[in-house]
Amino acid sequence: MTVRLLGVGLPTTRSDVRLVARTTRLVLSVPVYALFATLVALATLSAFVLSQNLALVGDVVLGGSLPLAARLRVLVELYPFVGTSYSLLSGTALVVVAALTGVDLAMVAYHVREHGLSAEGSGGSAAGVVLGALGAGCAACGSAVLAGVLSLVGASGLALLLPFDGVEFAVLASVALVLSMYWLADGMRGGSINGCPVDP
Amino acid sequence: MRRQTRRRFVAATALAVAGIAGCTGRTGSAGAGTEGTSGGATEPGDTDGRTTGSSESLDSHPAAAGLDAQPTLGPREATATIVAFEDPSCPRCRAFERNTVPRIRDELVATGQARFVARTYPVVYPWGEPAVQALESTFARSSEAFWGLFAHYFADQDAFSTDNVLPRTEEWLAANTDLDGAAVVADAEAGAYDDAVQVDLDAGEAAGVGRTTPTVFLFRDGEYVTRAGGSVSFDLLTSALGL
Repeated sequence: MTVRLLGVGLPTTRSDVRLVARTTRLVLSVPVYALFATLVALATLSAFVLSQNLALVGDVVLGGSLPLAARLRVLVELYPFVGTSYSLLSGTALVVVAALTGVDLAMVAYHVREHGLSAEGSGGSAAGVVLGALGAGCAACGSAVLAGVLSLVGASGLALLLPFDGVEFAVLASVALVLSMYWLADGMRGGSINGCPVDP
Repeated sequence: MRRQTRRRFVAATALAVAGIAGCTGRTGSAGAGTEGTSGGATEPGDTDGRTTGSSESLDSHPAAAGLDAQPTLGPREATATIVAFEDPSCPRCRAFERNTVPRIRDELVATGQARFVARTYPVVYPWGEPAVQALESTFARSSEAFWGLFAHYFADQDAFSTDNVLPRTEEWLAANTDLDGAAVVADAEAGAYDDAVQVDLDAGEAAGVGRTTPTVFLFRDGEYVTRAGGSVSFDLLTSALGL
């Protein structure tokens, strides 16, 4: 039985999880959508990461007079697990959010193009991407960002209660994206993907 | 109906997040605990309207204001100058100090290729402010003790709080240096070196550091090259500097 909160269906049962997993797998079994998901994930991760150092990208990667190899080295060193800008935790969180964004938008694209339906539930994608972007900013900086934000509402001390230095936002982004994926899968229930039936 | 509710839910979430995302902009002063926005070590779109052209020189760049009076490692005539704005209480600064700074010292400073300038910039946790007062008070007496205390703050970062930072500082100075730890702490409590603290805050603010720590400004042959926010790697720095 699906739990509803304020009229919104939430994935709570094992069958809900299976539905999301199966729908996702079926969509990604179509090569063009798998490629689309990969490209979106890479673009999302790049947007998160490069937006943190626009001056560096402009001055050195795009501008300046360095040889190509040096420009590329500067570029890749900005990414999680290559450079040192992110901890294991925050780097993993960013990669997960980027991957979920890719899969989620591939599902949106499939639902709209193949089923000719409205992108119900895709609004969660936007929230997920925005949260992910915020998480990217926070994850790399520690809680300065949170202290600044919370001070606006007189609660700067609350930043100290967030032990993972802003990765919490990436977790929220993941939740929003997974919700979006569930709603999309729910919207495709009873249809077929790549010739295979989705759970009714 | 269900669809509308979902959309309302998502819209409300996005709106709330967008409000929070104001943190990625910039207003307010650079002082810790001040109202305003922040972006920590990586402020997305780290462009505060200030355009730092590559034609700026070390002599005129705001990040380098009063540079000769700052804690410095390496020769003044080195090919490259790395100016780092750091907060002792900042976790990503700790990562930078652990991963990148040792290689800067060993491979660039020791070989005379670069000088490394530390500018204290307390904008993260509240205990960073008294810590920076103590650092300036220490530096006025001994640069060697300054570097030791600076490293100590990062090494034991999790142990510090606003309440214990000065007593612990006094203990560390007494145990590890020839300085009068009590006098250093008394000066820190009295704000005896406020001017020195403010020079760094003003330089950071003028250079557009905002609340991003660490932020490093890179210069080569006396000319500005670029800036980088976050605990960037040694390879990134050397590649950007062409070393």
